[in-house]
Amino acid sequence: MTTTAATALTPATAARYCIQKRGPKPPSEFIRAINLKPSSSGWGAAAHGRSSAPLIVSRASSSSSAPKTTSKGKRKIKKDDGDDPPDDKDEAEEEEKLQQQQPSSVSVIKRLDDVNPVGLGRRSRQIFDEVWRKFSGLGQISRTTRTDDEASLLISEGGPMCEFATPGAQNTTVLVVGATSRVGRIVVRKLMLRGYTVKALVRKADQEIVDMLPTSVDIVTGDVGDPSSLKPAVEGCNKIICCATARSSITGDLNRVDNQGVYNLTKAFQDYNNKLAQLRAGKSSKSKLLLAKFKSADSLDGWVVRQGTYFQDVVAAKYDGGMDAKFEFSDSGDAVFSGYVFTRGGYVELSKKLSLTLGSTLDRYEGLVLSVGGNGRSYVIILEAGPSADPDQSKMYFARISTKVGFCRRPIEGPVRTKQDLRSFQLILEYIKALPTGQETDFILISCTGSGIDSSRREQVLRAKKAGEDSLRRSGLGYTIVRPGPLMEEPGGQRALVFDQGNRISQAISCADVADICVKALHDSTARNKSFDVCYEYVAETGKELYELVAHLPDKANNYLTPALSVLEKNT
Amino acid sequence: MALILPTQLVTPCTTRSRTASPSRHGSLSWRRTLAADIISAPSSSSYPSLSPGGGGGCVQVQPLLVKCTAAAANLAPGTPVRPTTILVVGATGTLGRQVVRRALDEGYDVRCLVRPRPAPADFLRDWGAIVVNADLSKPETIPATLVGVHTIIDCATGRPEEPIKTVDWEGKVALIQCAKAMGIQKFIFYSIHNCDKHPEVPLMQIKYCTEKFLQDSGINHTIIRLCGFMQGLIGQYAVPILEDKSVWGTDAPTRIAYMDTQDIARLTFIALRNENVSGKLLTFAGPRAWTNQEVIALCERLAGQDANVTTVPVSVLKFTRQLTRFFEWTNDVADRLAFSEVLSSDTVFSVPMTETYKLLGVDSKDVASLEKYLQDYFTNILKKLKDLKAQSKQSDFYL
Repeated sequence: MTTTAATALTPATAARYCIQKRGPKPPSEFIRAINLKPSSSGWGAAAHGRSSAPLIVSRASSSSSAPKTTSKGKRKIKKDDGDDPPDDKDEAEEEEKLQQQQPSSVSVIKRLDDVNPVGLGRRSRQIFDEVWRKFSGLGQISRTTRTDDEASLLISEGGPMCEFATPGAQNTTVLVVGATSRVGRIVVRKLMLRGYTVKALVRKADQEIVDMLPTSVDIVTGDVGDPSSLKPAVEGCNKIICCATARSSITGDLNRVDNQGVYNLTKAFQDYNNKLAQLRAGKSSKSKLLLAKFKSADSLDGWVVRQGTYFQDVVAAKYDGGMDAKFEFSDSGDAVFSGYVFTRGGYVELSKKLSLTLGSTLDRYEGLVLSVGGNGRSYVIILEAGPSADPDQSKMYFARISTKVGFCRRPIEGPVRTKQDLRSFQLILEYIKALPTGQETDFILISCTGSGIDSSRREQVLRAKKAGEDSLRRSGLGYTIVRPGPLMEEPGGQRALVFDQGNRISQAISCADVADICVKALHDSTARNKSFDVCYEYVAETGKELYELVAHLPDKANNYLTPALSVLEKNT
Repeated sequence: MALILPTQLVTPCTTRSRTASPSRHGSLSWRRTLAADIISAPSSSSYPSLSPGGGGGCVQVQPLLVKCTAAAANLAPGTPVRPTTILVVGATGTLGRQVVRRALDEGYDVRCLVRPRPAPADFLRDWGAIVVNADLSKPETIPATLVGVHTIIDCATGRPEEPIKTVDWEGKVALIQCAKAMGIQKFIFYSIHNCDKHPEVPLMQIKYCTEKFLQDSGINHTIIRLCGFMQGLIGQYAVPILEDKSVWGTDAPTRIAYMDTQDIARLTFIALRNENVSGKLLTFAGPRAWTNQEVIALCERLAGQDANVTTVPVSVLKFTRQLTRFFEWTNDVADRLAFSEVLSSDTVFSVPMTETYKLLGVDSKDVASLEKYLQDYFTNILKKLKDLKAQSKQSDFYL
């Protein structure tokens, strides 16, 4: 009898586990377990009258009782093997002995008399085991009741009692690009611990790489250099963390991964967002708003060229060469704003009243992207916003842009445009778009500060990385660009970190800390649209402190990222 | 009974020498030495102490006779082991899983030594740890798992149903010797608080002996003594109270300073990186020591319902232990009940932590208190139950 009880109980345990975890189990086991249900006290309690709610609880407790039950069975079996004759006597003796000490257990067993006699033996055994387990548990101090794998979900695996629990993690799918890199590996683990759904983009899904990643990570094969392979990767993703970097510093490689790769990723992600938006017949909240596009002569209508001076200087005006400007559509198909300004304090401006569709405003947007080609002059963009009836209440946003010779694109905070220059100028305008605003970051890119790279290649590496960063900024996605110092393979959370902007950090940082910043930034509104450098705290020699930096020691309780980032500038 | 014991000690050792793989012969020569030691040692001094029914009534392990004779590893130049690789022994346990989780989060590469079993520890792999199969009670399986490991964190302990000795003593001895032979650079061992004061409790004695063995082995180590885990209270008190089942308590005046295993894991890694702690013995205890009855009262208050408490006098436990000791097959049970000796001794399982906090540079406010822990648990579970209740009205969800 003891033997059957032991073997029969094991599948029951397995099935409980199976239901709770929803893991794949052979159906045969499952059915057996269901047949057994009425005999198990935990299930029985749930099935009678008591609502289903306590089931989770009973699972937790019965799970702890199960191993013991099994073990008891085992022990008895062992004994059976050895000395057969005194077997039953021993057991009876033990039971009797305990019943003397535990009058309550006697009454429990008596109550069972009116139950189905077939299950009686098994049931009494279970009750006895339960009583015995509790009894022997009393003699313990440091040993906890073994809860094994079926441990309550509350305490383990991302439940609210887990210190890593992140609200909203369950509903977030994160694509980790470069999941096998030094940082990517840790990022994947951190995300798994926090209960995110993780997709990993790897170049080759061979056994070695699969073994390296957690089992329930969804592995997608693809290459950031190949746009078509990214389509399945971004499907279903809410956020992207890009830890990929070129394997060599050959220009072609750099360009393919660090520059074009980021562009491809942002494009694939935006395409996917737009596709989703189309499905619900709307516009993706992450897409940019087109304010002006200069692609034909007609599109220049409404743009007015004006000129003026900031102050009146009669004497100086006499010797000025004056100023002139025009805005026209050239033969080559470009909209060109060109002219000269020789007057001191003079300016020419190009402006237009924005005609937004009724009801829409620029509230949802927080930046402008201009696609322009300049001749090396700097210009100022001014966006005036307010009720058109009352110009006094309007607000002006200024931003200075400098153009390089050649074609460049730059996002500018605070919108619309005017430009100022002291000499002749030429500005080719292609389009002006508004960048949408949002709560959280959509794309985290790990770039680099350039320190620690062989100086002969530093320039090329940085150029590719910068180009990649730029294409991300322009994409309209909420971005966070992390530029860590040289990466070290050591445990994180040990040293204070410095967050800074302006490429003046000098220290290294551990991969684990970078990974932690990425994971924390996912849901941090202060991280949106920011680029920052980060490294270990630099302990300056006294008297040689150059500047003051705010240092933050990462710890379990504190969220160091928010205060650190809130002082940094946006749209950088 | 007494006669069986030496053979129990000896058998695994001989197995070891038999199974030493020829390829590793040089570095693992300790196996033979160890076996020889043990066989000769008990005959001289350990027999007299093994009087049946006397003393602790169980195996008086004589660990100091077993010297760690493993030859120091060949430290010839080669690829250095990355200091971020750690091996966690007993990773599926209450404490072990928290250690694994913490380690992964701090960026370590974690390898978990788990016993081969039909239902593999999937959750460990899901977190990103690498699972290797080995069994401490089969020492020949150990060395392969230690290749490329920098630090071993040992949170293993035998399952309640198996004899205490196989894992906790023989397994640990094998593990420490392997670690020594293979040049493991750091070993963290979890022990029990006050284990030196209660030699009558087999588990505590074994832990104490293992501490001594580890200290003698010369490995760079840290020993951490623990009191009790808060997580254990959930199954013992909180769940039965929520289920309206009877809660069993004792009238023992023993106080235990329970600690959250997540805090233990956190402090462990701080200690691991702190060079000052190397070779030291630390004790981690919770902020306050609680008696059994106090914990039950607290659970009742937080759950908002009265518990059906069955109080068992400690004397009954002691009596049962005496009784179970008479039969060979109930010896394991007797071992498990051995803590009743401690319970009746009015000990306080706690230790002032100020020094430790200072040493590790930890703020005492960061360590969770039992009230806070249980309160979180009850808030969460009551909320969950409410959600489930609402759901179950719509469908029969457990089919």
